[in-house]
Formats: sequence, C-alpha cells, structure tokens
Amino acid sequence: MQSAASQRLQTFDQAFVDSVIAERTGRPGALLGILQKVQEHQPAQYLPTEVLEYIAAKTATPLSRIYGVVTFYALFSLAPQGKNSVCICRGTACHTRGSRDLLEQAMMRLGLQQDQDGETESLSVTTPDGLTTLRTVACFGQCALAPVVEVNHTIFGHMNERSLQKALETLDLGGPLS
Amino acid sequence: MSSQITVRIDGVLCTATEGETIFEVAEANGKHIPSLCHMEGVSSAGSCRLCLVEVAGIDRLLPACTTPAQRGMAVTTTSDRLSSHRRLALELMFVERNHICAVCVSNGHCELQALAQSLGVTHVRYPYNSPRLSVDVSHPRFVLDHNRCILCSRCVRVCDEIEGAHVWDIGGRGIGSRVVADLDRPWGESQACTACGKCVQVCPTGALVEKGYAVEEMTRSKAAIARLAVKKGATP
Repeated sequence: MQSAASQRLQTFDQAFVDSVIAERTGRPGALLGILQKVQEHQPAQYLPTEVLEYIAAKTATPLSRIYGVVTFYALFSLAPQGKNSVCICRGTACHTRGSRDLLEQAMMRLGLQQDQDGETESLSVTTPDGLTTLRTVACFGQCALAPVVEVNHTIFGHMNERSLQKALETLDLGGPLS
Repeated sequence: MSSQITVRIDGVLCTATEGETIFEVAEANGKHIPSLCHMEGVSSAGSCRLCLVEVAGIDRLLPACTTPAQRGMAVTTTSDRLSSHRRLALELMFVERNHICAVCVSNGHCELQALAQSLGVTHVRYPYNSPRLSVDVSHPRFVLDHNRCILCSRCVRVCDEIEGAHVWDIGGRGIGSRVVADLDRPWGESQACTACGKCVQVCPTGALVEKGYAVEEMTRSKAAIARLAVKKGATP
C-alpha cells in the first residue's frame, strides 16, 4: 500500500505542484494558472491523470471540473507531447489561402495518419516516435500573414509548400528527415 | 436592500423585486416562457436559448433566465421573430445528436419533445449529424445516453448545488462537448457519485434514465428537487 502510493507520486514533481498550488490558493481562477504551470513543468508537456487527481484532492476541486477545464482549453494536453511543436492555423483567412494543403503536407512529412472521420475541428497528434506534435488552431490572430504556421514557437507567415518544407527541416528529430 | 420595481411583460405591468430575472417575474405573473435548461431550485445557465425574449430598445434577443428585470423594462415573450428563433434552436438540437422518440424511454414525458410539439417543429431543415455516440451503462442503477443529451447542464448544476457531489461537468468544446463523470470515467466507477439520482430526475430528455424502464415508461419529478433546494436554502 505504502509503496504503491509512493510509486504513484514519482510520476510527477510533488513538491513543485505543492508550491504552485500554495502560491495561487485563494485567487480567483487559480485552477487555470495551476494547470498551466504544472503542465509546463512536466517533461512531456502534458497533464497525466495522477497529477489531475492530486491537484483535485489538494485544491478540493471536483475531478469533472478539472477535466472540463483541461479539455476546453486547447493549450492543455492529456497525452505526452513531442519536444517539437508544429501548429497550423486553420482559421478562415488561412483556410482560404491554402492551409489545408499545408496541413496535409505536414502530416505526410511527419508520417501521420489523417483521422478516419476526416478533418476534425481541432487536431493534436504526436508522431509515434514521440518527437513532434502537430496541432491545428482556429486562429493565430495574424490573418494578414495568412497562411500562418508555428514551428517550435516561431511564427512563419505567408507559408507555401517550399517554405513549410524548410521550416520542417529545422525540427530536431535526432537525424535528417527522410 | 432589494426594492420593488415595475416591468412590463407582454404589455402587462408586473411588480418584481430587484434582482429577479425576467423569467422569474414572468412565471410569478402567470406568463410561461419555454426553456430546457432553466430549473427551479438551481442556478441558471442560459444554455438552451429557448427563453430568449425581446426587450424594447435592445436589438438582440436576451435570455430571460439570466437577464435581471430592470425598472421600466418592456419585455415581449411571444412574437414571430421569437418563435422562429426558438424553432431554429430546437431544430439544431435535433440535428446535433440522435433523438429518436419511438425508441426512447422518455417518449411522452420528454421536455424536448413536448416543446417541439408546442412550437410546431414537425421536421428539421438541416441534415442530421448522426454522430456515433456511446451509451454508459456502467452505473448499477442509471444509464447515460449521449445520443439524447442536449447539454442543458441541469445534471451538472443539480449535482453540484443540491447534492454537493459535482460528479458531472461538460468536457470538450463546441460540437465535441460531452457530459463527463469525474475524469471522463465510466459513471459506475465515479468516486464522487452518491447514486442519489437527482441528475436523472432533472434530465429534460432521455439522456439520463433509470434502468429497468421500457419505451415511454420513464417519468421524473423535478418538483422534488425544488423542494430540496428550499430545504437546503440553496435557492439562488
């Protein structure tokens, strides 16, 4: 029983989570900030179930409320994310300037499969090797630069097939892209 | 402290206490405004958009259940414009999931169905989404059928405000929104659920039902929840 409990706690930095909670307790909207800080601190930039359960117990927040918040905001992830992030804008302006083609190209380059249900509203998939996460967003707010792609937190505007290819080549994949 | 104000609802002068919503004032004065998410005893969510009313001097429609009545307000609760908006809201609910009355335990006792009948929604003008949704039968006494859920969030509010368990919440966003128990676990595995059945009693459709009922057999009692709320002193 004891060992099971301590083993469970090893999946995240309990002291860090405690300090984040202590820092924010009592502030309105504290949950969002806590979740964001904790996710940033996690090695694979995601919120494992154990962390959510721990935060729920520690802050006396219902589990379903936490789940609601985590699944509502696109910035939270329940699955491990890759160290590279590629984010393609699928807003109206970017769509009319061909962001679907860019998305398809990026998926092909990264060896990702399209959903069976076709295109979903928002997408977040990680390559099987766990190196790169490809996401879509509804709008970057940079419509004048459409189509917009973010690669490892750098925003590229006026993207086309060639420039996307170049940007994707900067990804740290531990080897050249085949 | 709260003072008395006068508002005009459909041309009739009504006395109200400051802070009361348009919905409450209307009900107190014998005017019925349709709604699927509002419920006596729990807070208002303003999610179903069926209680929309016209307020003189404001172009857009306002939800009666979350708009406080203000001094001198002139409210219209029935008009062609409102009816067409309400019908549209209902049609979109029918389109979004799989509402098939003929095989529903709530057939004949369903608020969605009753409202559609009273507003004359005989068909929908849009293609059905027909999503493939799951049915959670993991709970020993109750069933959650996502196909029939309209996301009114009555179950969320009653579980939080009256029972105090907060088992339910809305997970996801937009068209992907679902009612979830705990961390989207099967209902039967929920640690927080007390199996009190309040959520089942308040569900306006056949989404939350008790096991052991056949088509048309499931009836509910919302009045019990309102009484509980009064006893708890939780009436907002």
